Amino acid sequence: MANTKFIKSEFFFEEDVRESVAEVPVDKHQPWPENEKLKVVGKEIPRIDGYDKTSGTALYTFDINLPHMAHAKILRSVWPHARIKSIDTTQAENLPGVLAVITHKNIPEIKWFEDSFLFDTKIRYEGEEIAGIAAETEEIAEKALKLIKIEVEELDFTVDPGQAMKETAPKIHEGGNIVGGNPFTYERGNFEEGIKNADAIIEETYSTQVVVHNPTEPHCSVANWDGDKLTVWDSTQAIFTVRGVVSRALNIPENNVRVIKKYMGGGFGSKLAGGKYTVIAALLAKKTGRPVRLTLDRREMNLAVGNRPDSVQSLKLGAKKDGTLTAMSHYAYGSSGAYQSGAGCSWPFRTVYQCPNVKVEEYTVYINAGPGRPFRAPGHVQGTFAMDSAIDLLAGRINMDPLEFRLKNYAEKDQVYNIPYTSKKLREAYEAGAKAIGWEKRNKQPGVGTGRYKTGIGMGTQIWWGGGGPPAYVTLKLNRDYSVEVLAGSQDLGTGTYTFVAQVASEVLEIPMERISVILGDTGVVPYGPPSGGSVTSPSISPAVRDAAEQMKQKLMKAAAAVLSLKENDLVYKNGTVSSKSDPSKSIFLSDIMGKINEPVLVTTGAREANPEGYMIQTFGAQFADVEVDTLTGKVRVKKIVAAHDIGRVLNRTLLENQFHGGIIQGIGFALMEERIIDGNTGKVLTTNLHDYKLPLITDMPEIEVIIVSEGDPMISNTGVKGIGEPAHIPTAAAIANAIFNATGVQIKSTPMTPDKVLMALSQNS
Amino acid sequence: MKNFKYIPAESLEKASQKKDDSVLMAGGTDLLGMIKDDLLTPETVINLKSLKELKNIRYNAGKGLEIGALATITELAENSDVQKRFPVLVQTCKEIASPQLRNVGTVGGNLCQRPRCWYYRGEFNCLRKGGDTCFAVDGENKFHCVVGGGPCYIVHPSDLAVSLLALDASLEIFSNGKLKTVPIDDFFILPEQNETKENILEPGEIVTKIIVPEIPAGSKCAFIKFKERASWDFAVVSLGILLNTNGSTIKNGRIVFGGVAPRPWIDTALNTKLTGAATDEKNLKSLADSALLEAEPMSKNDYKIILVRNLLKQALIDLSKN
Ligand SMILES: Cc1cc2nc3c(=O)[nH]c(=O)nc-3n(C[C@H](O)[C@H](O)[C@H](O)COP(=O)(O)OP(=O)(O)OC[C@H]3O[C@@H](n4cnc5c(N)ncnc54)[C@H](O)[C@@H]3O)c2cc1C
Ligand code: SF4
Repeated sequence: MANTKFIKSEFFFEEDVRESVAEVPVDKHQPWPENEKLKVVGKEIPRIDGYDKTSGTALYTFDINLPHMAHAKILRSVWPHARIKSIDTTQAENLPGVLAVITHKNIPEIKWFEDSFLFDTKIRYEGEEIAGIAAETEEIAEKALKLIKIEVEELDFTVDPGQAMKETAPKIHEGGNIVGGNPFTYERGNFEEGIKNADAIIEETYSTQVVVHNPTEPHCSVANWDGDKLTVWDSTQAIFTVRGVVSRALNIPENNVRVIKKYMGGGFGSKLAGGKYTVIAALLAKKTGRPVRLTLDRREMNLAVGNRPDSVQSLKLGAKKDGTLTAMSHYAYGSSGAYQSGAGCSWPFRTVYQCPNVKVEEYTVYINAGPGRPFRAPGHVQGTFAMDSAIDLLAGRINMDPLEFRLKNYAEKDQVYNIPYTSKKLREAYEAGAKAIGWEKRNKQPGVGTGRYKTGIGMGTQIWWGGGGPPAYVTLKLNRDYSVEVLAGSQDLGTGTYTFVAQVASEVLEIPMERISVILGDTGVVPYGPPSGGSVTSPSISPAVRDAAEQMKQKLMKAAAAVLSLKENDLVYKNGTVSSKSDPSKSIFLSDIMGKINEPVLVTTGAREANPEGYMIQTFGAQFADVEVDTLTGKVRVKKIVAAHDIGRVLNRTLLENQFHGGIIQGIGFALMEERIIDGNTGKVLTTNLHDYKLPLITDMPEIEVIIVSEGDPMISNTGVKGIGEPAHIPTAAAIANAIFNATGVQIKSTPMTPDKVLMALSQNS
Repeated sequence: MKNFKYIPAESLEKASQKKDDSVLMAGGTDLLGMIKDDLLTPETVINLKSLKELKNIRYNAGKGLEIGALATITELAENSDVQKRFPVLVQTCKEIASPQLRNVGTVGGNLCQRPRCWYYRGEFNCLRKGGDTCFAVDGENKFHCVVGGGPCYIVHPSDLAVSLLALDASLEIFSNGKLKTVPIDDFFILPEQNETKENILEPGEIVTKIIVPEIPAGSKCAFIKFKERASWDFAVVSLGILLNTNGSTIKNGRIVFGGVAPRPWIDTALNTKLTGAATDEKNLKSLADSALLEAEPMSKNDYKIILVRNLLKQALIDLSKN
């Protein structure tokens, strides 16, 4: 690696501020010009794994099929809250074809969440792991599950966070049901004073549901031991996290664990953590002396591998007649599930709109249900729905156009840390989005339309970190035959990491994409990089790729100078050839340079530089929805979504649009149909398959227009890229909600805004 | 899933003899899912698909349409006679499930499919499974019935049942070695009669044919299905309507509701008001508002009544035009 130094670095990852001291390169590369002047970056380049995926040759974790492989299943609790008194596995073990059964009785205690274990004798939610079985086939393993006899003491349970917060509620953990014992609080200015100064005040409660990630590809691990060395193929967004989890659980050093993930069919945050299933597969593989594959089914995916916490948010906002916000307060609670996960959702509220007096109090509450996990912009989706609904309501009170109201309260600086942004082009996004949707066509008076179908236009504002940061490393290997391998400390969860890594290397080295291969998702091979969550992958990895490639170019120039006996500053690099500026007849191709210096493979390592100190890095955007509400049925049809965002530099226009389509589709699901429903009387989940858990389908899709108002942000990194995976999803539901409000004059305060809710709200209003 | 023996049916007789612990399979789109989820644990699965004669779709002018029980939903929708003379059936087929399911699912299977109550399909030992409670009563009953329920509160999931009842179809059933014909209205039962099944079929009885009489000249038909998502979704409510109007009054008609009751539902009071009713918008509106007066919605499904009335109003207005 080139010159480095250690600096204090800060970046945001899924709602957490991560502060560390990081090693970063000293030399900064010139920022790239705008995309128009680049050759490969920013273009509509098809994903390089497209052929593998569409032809069926791509290997997903489930496709790993090793000789003598055994198949595993997990016995899960059918009770929401219970204490195990006894487990008898004799019958299961005796079933022909069963190879091993593990329970808390025959494995070492492995600590897991908080005060619990891999197999705990206290069951805290329906779906919690009780035992693992390996058998010759998955069918046998499934049959054997039913032969395990368990005696439990059933405990009172609670599946409603409002109820769980009460003193009298059954305790899920010793310390009570409020995670951390206290709410998160935040205050600036004086809220009460601000309210006194307001001409208009609104006070409303909004609620959002639990949604489940439900990626296409199931959670799956394959574990194989070779002596003390364990290889795990895992469908994961975080190979290094999984390696850490597995090594700690099994008490073996990290160098004995290799985690591999080549292709993946989505995760959305549900695959950001090391799974119990992975450790169970490894334990069973050890016990049977055979490779073991463990795949979760759709039911398990809906019970036990994460969700977006619900929320109940009570908001009070005050504004002057001219639209100036004077005070905002946010009281909220949401359910974490049975183990700790963040249900907070006030970040956008604290920072999107300029307001001097803000007060926040939020509770994350344990309930007897599957634990939450980060889900595509945790907190922000539910927070933005409530915040932007309230903003439209307040704007209506003072007869102000909601967009004008937002512009009136435009925040020039980050209000929580009181520091400037590296860049903020939200105003441009508002303007471009409004133009594209035809903002002027919206109902000046909400609900004025007549007839069966009422149309309306609404908007929501997006904020999210997505700046990435160190540590993130890339190793670049240049082969003498003018081909390249780039090994990046990352993984492609389907978003196109393979492709943009090749693009950046190709851009710098001017070597065609076809001669560049990218290796990701193998802890045994790639240098370290961050988990693929928090929209940090491209902003962290792309600058490291560029750094590695620029170093390679410099190395070639230096070597050429030596070989040609010329001064380095007299040389230029073009398409793999180094030539003299003063005497163009002197030139040498990189293969020849490498021959002369006797290097079959040149290696460089690039790193992500530090983020600038004293600045806040955020992505911004606005989405606009054009909807039609059937007043006879309450059904909402989204006709069009315009997404206008500031996300730094676009690396690949096609991949970018993919991300926006996915984010908006998921936004429509959250807004209009998806919901995990738990039966309150039994504590059991009712929506464990894909026709009761309603994901949106292609026929529910609107026209989508994506507008990017930013070029690269040179203050962040040498590529100026910000992440987009989460920004794409954040404001969709808010925009739809406000469009429904604009169409009908009635605000739906709870998601999903299903036809029954809309119809009842309309009929109560008429 | 429990292992089972698989037997292709050799003949109606043989298929109907196997009774204890055996189940009949047509397309298997519902049945196999139930077996996989351990809701059914048969010893034997008898596949009716080998009975080719049950696949025919035949139209006889004057007599009407005969649909073999084993004809797939797609075959029904693509039949040219059906398209010409029973477009309402085509309309209904297109609303069912997804193209893949329609390619495999049969008409007989659609009528005999089991309910979709999420308690029934889940790990709940409810009344319909021989247990002693209905979990929907004070549970999550948004999609349950508003009329005809008790002690079980399912809605019947079949879309075709609604249209076929509006068209006054009959079913031919192979029973004890003989064929009998039953009006479709008498085929479906309510839970008060038996809460563990949805129709009159006894073990070993096989639906062989669906007979649809000619649509009376001058009558118009419609099937309207409301679902939460644009495709691949069961009906929240649905309407099957046959209406014969002469200028300003309704000569006669029949209105059937789906998604509101444990069987395709005929609101008798409403239907008796049809003959002679004026077709001005005001009257049609009050007619629609008199639908489901006897309904007793559960805690989370009162919206269904508004939904039915709204859709009915619109449908009656549309059908009485010109
Ligand atoms: C995801 C999904 C969505 C669906 N959506 C809809 C929808 O929107 N609308 C709708 O109407 N339906 C819907 N269905 C139901 C689907 O249409 C039925 O599964 C299908 O029609 C059943 O036909 P089959 O031939 O596969 O029946 P099978 O699965 O083979 O059988 C179903 C039942 O009927 C019995 N049976 C079948 N044929 C006969 C016979 N001839 N005589 C006696 N008993 C018989 C079987 O024993 C079994 O109990 C959906 C199903 C699924 C899985
Ligand atoms: S409605 Fe019927 S099927 Fe559903 S839980 Fe009640 S008894 Fe069971």
